[in-house]
Amino acid sequence: MSAQTIQPASPPATGLISARRRLVHRLLYGRNVDRGAKARARVLLAIMVFAAVYAVVALRLVMFALVPESHAVRRTGSQDAVATARPDIVDRNGQILATDVRMPSLFGEPRKIIDVDEATELLTAVLPDLESAEVRERLGSRRGFVWLKREIKPQQQQQIHRLGIPGIGFLPENKRVYPNGAEVSHLIGLVNIDNQGIAGMEKWLDGRGLADLHRAGFATDREQKPIALAVDLRVQHALRDELVAAAEKFKAKAAAGLVIDVNTGEILSMVSVPDYDPNNPREANDPTRINRLSTGVFELGSTFKALTIAMALDSGKVTLNSTFDARVPLRYGRFNIHDYHAQHRVMTVPEIFTYSSNIGTARMALALGVEHHKWFLRKLGQLDRLRTELPESAEPLVPKHWGELNTVTIAFGHGLSVAPLQAAMGINALVNGGYLIPPTFMKRTQQEARALATQVIKPETSDKMRYLLRLNAEKGSATKADVKGYYIGGKTGTAEKVIGGRYSKTKVLTTFTAILPADKPRYQIFIILDEPQGLKETFGFSTSGWNAGPTAGKVIARIAPMLGIEPRFDLPPADRLILAKGQ
Amino acid sequence: MLRLINLAVIGALVIGAAWLYEIKYSSTRAAEHVAKLRAEIRRERDAIAALRAEWARLDNPDRIQILARRHLTLKPVETTQFDSLDHLPEKPVEIVPPGSADPIGALIENMVDPEVVTGSVVEPEANH
Repeated sequence: MSAQTIQPASPPATGLISARRRLVHRLLYGRNVDRGAKARARVLLAIMVFAAVYAVVALRLVMFALVPESHAVRRTGSQDAVATARPDIVDRNGQILATDVRMPSLFGEPRKIIDVDEATELLTAVLPDLESAEVRERLGSRRGFVWLKREIKPQQQQQIHRLGIPGIGFLPENKRVYPNGAEVSHLIGLVNIDNQGIAGMEKWLDGRGLADLHRAGFATDREQKPIALAVDLRVQHALRDELVAAAEKFKAKAAAGLVIDVNTGEILSMVSVPDYDPNNPREANDPTRINRLSTGVFELGSTFKALTIAMALDSGKVTLNSTFDARVPLRYGRFNIHDYHAQHRVMTVPEIFTYSSNIGTARMALALGVEHHKWFLRKLGQLDRLRTELPESAEPLVPKHWGELNTVTIAFGHGLSVAPLQAAMGINALVNGGYLIPPTFMKRTQQEARALATQVIKPETSDKMRYLLRLNAEKGSATKADVKGYYIGGKTGTAEKVIGGRYSKTKVLTTFTAILPADKPRYQIFIILDEPQGLKETFGFSTSGWNAGPTAGKVIARIAPMLGIEPRFDLPPADRLILAKGQ
Repeated sequence: MLRLINLAVIGALVIGAAWLYEIKYSSTRAAEHVAKLRAEIRRERDAIAALRAEWARLDNPDRIQILARRHLTLKPVETTQFDSLDHLPEKPVEIVPPGSADPIGALIENMVDPEVVTGSVVEPEANH
């Protein structure tokens, strides 16, 4: 500073330099400036610098004081749940299907452990299922943190805590529990040990952004809103109970059932037995326990005739009074198409439906042609993969070269394999006024469904289909499914299974679809039995009318009161109630 | 004069420091209280979740069905057990108006039909 003061003073500036700079310059260096004034200016400068520094410090302090939360949150975040907190899943009435329970998990910090052998011995004494060699190896490693056992019981935590082993600690973790066990297994799926969904609706939840949320570290709190599904636990239970009983009674390999809202596409219940307990993930990988409704594709047999007849009626070329020749088996190439309940006469459309005539439906499909058949089935979503919220879905098996023979067999439900859920969607469209509504596992109102729906057949055709289905329950193959008072309509189907490339005569897949009630449908019930056996009480028959049909009847008798369907006994037969309204 | 100001400033400083200390201390206490309450809330929520899970397990229809079969004589509802309200018989007409002081008198009065013409009753509109 002193060196600078003796520098020659700049000439009295009058030029372009700003007045302020000149003033500062003169005050600091000017020779003719009063020393006192110069000193004061310097002190002022020093004060200003210090004031600035203190202001920064003070400001920073205020900032720290204003956001004290960030520290605390980060600390509890790491201590807290390691596994993702997931929202609860509830059924349409608020019953819990899946929830999180906090469980302690045992971990070790090998660097802090003094005596590995002692620690191992003490721990395996409390937790007998712990492998002692593995524990020793883990604790002997040089890592900072090792898991010893995930999800231990609170009592075990207490015991281990009392042992007071240094370097052993607990972290609370969220564990997913399914209080209803196997009851809703295929529908909601399950999670892995890190609480990430690996199947069913749980996986769908992750796909909706929960996984990202977890990765960012936000999904640790349980204050997430519960997810309400369309499923009704009571209906689900009734359906499962009846299916388990039916599978046992008819010695079937598997059974599956679906209850779907005809007007909204909501899936109220979906059961496929054998199923698994989502609390025990090991069972879920068993291939015999797949979800037969969405992951399996099957030739559905005569149930498919409903689609063929709807196609014929909707084309306008066929009416309910049209007749088709079913006197002799239909010869096609080297194939002979027979009727199971052969009548050997010319039949009308309602007769073809109630006697489930293969010849009649095949002739009907042939009359409209291959292209029309293909176009209609595609319109009804039977030829493309159906995607719902469930991540598991299967592609239908469509013949590569679709000739007339294919049309003949597909007309009565052989030669085209579809997922049963897909067929149920198509049948819904036949009876609900012609709206094709994609099925959903989430709640949906009728307005929302209408917005998504496409009109695939005329409302008049839908009336006729309801009439045919009801007629079939009054005097056709579905009489054993009819529950007095609920005005059910239904169609049976018995498909011969392909064993070693040929259709088997003994191994069959029986299906049954019922609509409830037939005059103003609200629900469709779809039942499948895989390889049911003939019994003495069914006179050795293993066709659908003897097993899948009655099972559907039992299911309806149980679920109709829950669904608020009022029994009515004074209703006229189908031709007067449904047809008269349609005309 | 200057000394007085200095003294006042020092006094203000001491009071300010004490006041700040008090605020700081109480805010720390409040923060601790908040943290404690948060932990408590979380514990309670976890307990509620565990209890709800337990409730749902006990409420499982499969379990209830087994228990009901074992202990109750109830059976599933038959369709014939339903009936609509329209089929309820009409409520019988009250013979005696409610709250009348003389029920028997009212009963007799009701039984007399004013329209019936007998020998002792004069026809009301006798204009012949």
